[in-house]
Amino acid sequence: MSNNSKVKIIPCSGMGKVYGLMSREATLQTVTKLCPEQAETICLAYLVTGDKEAKMRIAEQPCLTIDGCPMLCAAKSVAAMGGDVKERFKVLDVVKEHRGVQPGTATALTEGGWTIVDDIAARLEAKVREVAGEGR
Amino acid sequence: MSEAREVKFGVVSCSGEECLGGTISRLATRKIMDEIQPDKTVTICLPLFLAGGQEERTFAKEFPTIAVDGCNKACARRAIEKYSGAVSAAILVSDLIGDEMAEGPALSTRDLTAEHQKMIDKTTLAISEEYDVLIKAEQVK
Repeated sequence: MSNNSKVKIIPCSGMGKVYGLMSREATLQTVTKLCPEQAETICLAYLVTGDKEAKMRIAEQPCLTIDGCPMLCAAKSVAAMGGDVKERFKVLDVVKEHRGVQPGTATALTEGGWTIVDDIAARLEAKVREVAGEGR
Repeated sequence: MSEAREVKFGVVSCSGEECLGGTISRLATRKIMDEIQPDKTVTICLPLFLAGGQEERTFAKEFPTIAVDGCNKACARRAIEKYSGAVSAAILVSDLIGDEMAEGPALSTRDLTAEHQKMIDKTTLAISEEYDVLIKAEQVK
């Protein structure tokens, strides 16, 4: 499968909070370990700074976004750049399902934080398998 | 008598998801924030900055800001220059660890090795050196 036929997963990777790190780690786990043949990621900053090659990569394939905070920067930015966002994942929604777990910091995750990342990655994987091959 | 302005330094990482340089830029920036200059530096969330965050853009206009980019696409530096003016300093991780290494596969923090830690330390040192130059310049203002 060529790179441009892969589902694009784009996290916010926000620097200030643990949820940004979790969005990034869940994405990396999905694209490198769970479904590397069907999904890849694109640097959000590269896309939003208006690079033509990055825009072309999201032009024809489904995109999934994952955001750490309610500002939804990844979801809004990918849509603004012409991406077809099939689902907007929110880290906080999954964190709420793991009541009482302290996920760590914006620098490093706890064991509980990694458990939540694994949960998010499994959801991303399921969605990738659902939309892969759909095109736009 | 006017009071001296408290100067905070912005450190903006590209945090790129596609290559090792992005991970190194992120972790070196976090190290500056967490360990080296926790009271003097703040980070700006680049996605929010790019999405139109006015507070973030105003900060980068008014305070010295260091861009830390993983590769020579220099997305963090270019974004700041576009919306807030010239950066005070720019670090390219690829200059420090080599283009080939920086553009290698992205790395999870789960898989960090001692070799990666050395790259983070090298990048942290480069940011620190720029910080020292900038703080001296602020002190003589």
